[in-house]
Formats: sequence, structure tokens, C-alpha cells
Amino acid sequence: MTISESKTPQKFLKVHSDQIFLLGSILTSFGILLVTVGGSWDITNHLLNKPETFFSPPHALLYLGVAISLVGVILSLFGWKNLQNFKELYSISLKIKLIGISLLIGAGPFDFIWHSNFGLDGFLSPPHLTLITGMFLCSIGGMIGISRYLKINNFKNTLSNYLLILAVLPVWLSGTGMISSLSLPFSNTDYFEFNPEPTFALLIATLAFPFLISLSMLLVFRLSNFRFGMMSILGGLFLLIYSLTAIVPNFAILDSTQFYMLNLIPFVISDIILLLNKSRKSLIFVGGLLGSIFYMVYYPYVMYTFNEVLLGKLVSPSLIYFVYFELIESVLMYAVIPAILMGIFAAIISEKFSKKILMSKL
Amino acid sequence: MIYFTLTVFVLPEQYLSNEQLNPQPYFEVELSESEISLGESFRLNIVSENRGDYGDIHIVSAAFPDLIEIGDVIEIVTYDFTQSPVYLVPGDEISYGYSSGLESTLSKYPSIEALNRPIQSGAKNHFEFVVTPEKSGIFTIYVKSVDIPHTSNLSHYPYSGVLDHQDEYVLVYLVNVNP
Repeated sequence: MTISESKTPQKFLKVHSDQIFLLGSILTSFGILLVTVGGSWDITNHLLNKPETFFSPPHALLYLGVAISLVGVILSLFGWKNLQNFKELYSISLKIKLIGISLLIGAGPFDFIWHSNFGLDGFLSPPHLTLITGMFLCSIGGMIGISRYLKINNFKNTLSNYLLILAVLPVWLSGTGMISSLSLPFSNTDYFEFNPEPTFALLIATLAFPFLISLSMLLVFRLSNFRFGMMSILGGLFLLIYSLTAIVPNFAILDSTQFYMLNLIPFVISDIILLLNKSRKSLIFVGGLLGSIFYMVYYPYVMYTFNEVLLGKLVSPSLIYFVYFELIESVLMYAVIPAILMGIFAAIISEKFSKKILMSKL
Repeated sequence: MIYFTLTVFVLPEQYLSNEQLNPQPYFEVELSESEISLGESFRLNIVSENRGDYGDIHIVSAAFPDLIEIGDVIEIVTYDFTQSPVYLVPGDEISYGYSSGLESTLSKYPSIEALNRPIQSGAKNHFEFVVTPEKSGIFTIYVKSVDIPHTSNLSHYPYSGVLDHQDEYVLVYLVNVNP
């Protein structure tokens, strides 16, 4: 091998280092997307037939996602090491991803040991919390990496902007996982009683879900430089994933898919409002609107949190929508105002977040 | 406006008017002996069935009001339910009132619950155990079955009889254990 030949890979790495970093960020985000899909499917599986072993298809999808994210973080590290410019700007993304992936990898054996010792585990358990925190951090790292790459390379008005949907969707889904684990009563087992206190859980769900919906939607809108359609696509994909993992596997509530898909309406309306008028008032209105629909967007599982406090009924899989619809008016009566306020708060915060992510001085 | 009208008022009415599933449990029990000597064993074989609609959960419970703990007295020999059996000990929190607001009480004696999640219409399951009493006298066994969703009185079997610690009807089986 000649000296020039041996230098070729190094040269390639240096020339394409930022693209390698982007690829790493994309894989990290895509991996987390798989993890969240596997996680949501796993919850449904637990509700329907309680798997008692570690080796189940949702777990396989979940850990495939972890493997893809790991490859993504390694690529990000390689890319970052060889960056010639903007190394400092990408470092926060890399650091967050490294912490996140460490937690994710650690959660695997931790979960296996937990299952082996305590059998069926609840939603909120130490290994699951480790996993969810790792997911959330990796998705944040991936989102920052993708967003900054697009900003630095001035991809403001190109199709590449659609990568932002892949960047934000895992953040939304893993954030959902975190809020769900702190609010759903699925965590008591023979060994541990980790179910959150019902009133605390209700408050968490009422405040955090509207905030997360509004923040995710307005973040993708701002990061994409106010591009029309981004919110509808992001919202539509969220609804698709949630319906495929939480509604379709349960044949008893399959006919409620049409109800669930109606949630696309406020997402599209938000897009249209902001196409016509991008003023601060419009953004705040849209934030409030998106916050107000949280009980519908988080169908069916959010019902369990409210049922604990308002009805206390035994909800088996075939009764899910009976209890959900029995509760819908009461929940909205109590929760719609705080939900709107949290949506508005998220609209304001999204401006600060997007500026930080994009480092507006760039 | 249309969205909120549809999701909060129109569709909920429509879904709530759908009929709920109505699974109906039933079981037959075969007792190998009605009288044994202390140190001997007897078998209790339960064949349970869902005679109604598809159900989410099918539970068959065998309780032992004369025991403080199951220990070596009960040994399961046949079990083909989909979920592992659940062993309850006195003091465990147990639920009842499945149709309305769920309530809970504390278990007064040990029991074993056999579970199927879900249960198809017409499905049959077997649950057999060997009992070796440790003292003489009458050995009592309570057997009952519950299907979830618990939509009517038929979601429980038997429909009448002795009430147990969950305020639910049970069939009582007695074996005389001679000293």
C-alpha cells in the first residue's frame, strides 16, 4: 500500500465528516423511533396478554432500535472527530447522544436481570426509566445534530427540511413515553408498587401532554423556517404510529380508528392558520388549540390515568373505549383550560428552544 | 368546531351504544375422594369453560379456608391456562365489584387463581391439583370463576351459594379427613 492510498480514508473522513455526523444523527433518531414504536407495542402487548418473558417481538424491535442508535452515535463520534469546521457547534449534540446511548445500552442487561428476578415488570421500573431517559436524550441529541446541520449548510428551503420530521418525531414519542410512565397506573407488580399516586398522575398528564404536543408541533414548524405542511406530516405520523401500536393490535377497539384519525383535523388546521398568518398571536392560538386536544390525541391509554381518579373502574382491553368515552366530557371540563394554557406556554417556549437549537447567531 | 363536536359529542354516543362483550364462565369439578385418612391425598379436577362471548380475562379460583398457607398441602398437577397461576396468601389485597367502581379487601385465606388472557368463546381449560391435608377434620375448598368484562350476573359462576371473602358466590367441596 502506498502512502497516498493509506491517506485516502482519512481524507474521505475529513471531507465528508459533517455528512457522516448527519448520517449518525439520522440513524440515532431513526433508532429511537424504532425503540418508541417497540415500546408502545410492548405496552399494548402487556395489556392484552401479559408476556412473561424477555424475548418478545416488541422487545426485539426495541433493541434493534437501540443497536441502530448505537451505530448512529458511533458514526456521530467519527464524524465529529474529523470535523474541520463547526466542531464546537456539534459537540453538544454528540455529548447528549453519548450520555443517552450509555443509558440505553445499560438498560438492556439491567432489564434482563430485572425480568429474570422479578418476572413481569411494570411500566415504571428502574430499567425502564433508564431506557426512557436514554431514549429521550438520544432523540434530543439527534434532533440538535440534524437541525444544526441543516442550518449550517443553509438547507432552509429544500426538501432536506423534511429530515426535521425524523428529528422531532422521536423526541415527541420518547417524551410521551416518559410522561406516560409517570402517569399511567401500569407499574404495580407482585414485587413492587410503582404506580404513581393517582392525583399526581392526573396532574402530570393534564399539564405535560398538552405541553409536549404543542412544543413538538411548533418546534418542527420553527426549525423548518415556518414551512407549511410540516405540522400536518409530523402529527399524521404520530397518529399513524400510535394507532398501529395502541389501537390496531386490540381488535375490540379497532372500530375507533376513525375517531382517532379525526385528530388530523386540528393538525391540518394549525398548519393552515400559520400559513395564512405567522404572527405571534396566531402561534399562541395554535399552541392553545394543540394543547386542548391532548385527551383525544393520547387515546386510548390516557383514559387509565383519569379513570383512576374519576371512575375507578376495572378497565379490561374490550372496555377501553366504553370507559374512555364515558369520561371524555368530564375530562375536558376539568382539563381543557389548563391544557390550553400549557399549549400556549409551549408555544412561547418553542421560540426559545428553536433559537437555542439553531444557535440563531449562526 | 366540527372536530370537537364529532370527537366529544357525536362519536362517543355512537361508540357507547355498541354492545359490550358478555363472556360467561362455567366449570365442572370432579373430586377423587370424599373421605380419606390423614396422610393420604385426593385430587380435585376443574374443567372450566367460557360459554359466552370472547372475554379479556377468565379466572378460576380455588380457595382453601381451612389453611393459613398453601405450603406442601396443594400441588398443581394439570394446568393449561395461558398465564401462570397466581398464589394469594392471607392479607393480600384482592379486588371485587368489577362492574361498578372497583373495591378492594384483604384476603382471609390462601387461594390459587388460574388465568387465561384472553379467552375465546367456547374455550375449555383444565386445572387439577392434589391435596394432602396435614390435619384431620373437614377439608374445605371454595371454587368460583369470573370473566372480565364483568357485564352481567352471568359473568360469574356460580350464580348462588356461599359468599366468600370477596363477597362472591362459590361452590363448596368438602373432604372428610379421618385421623
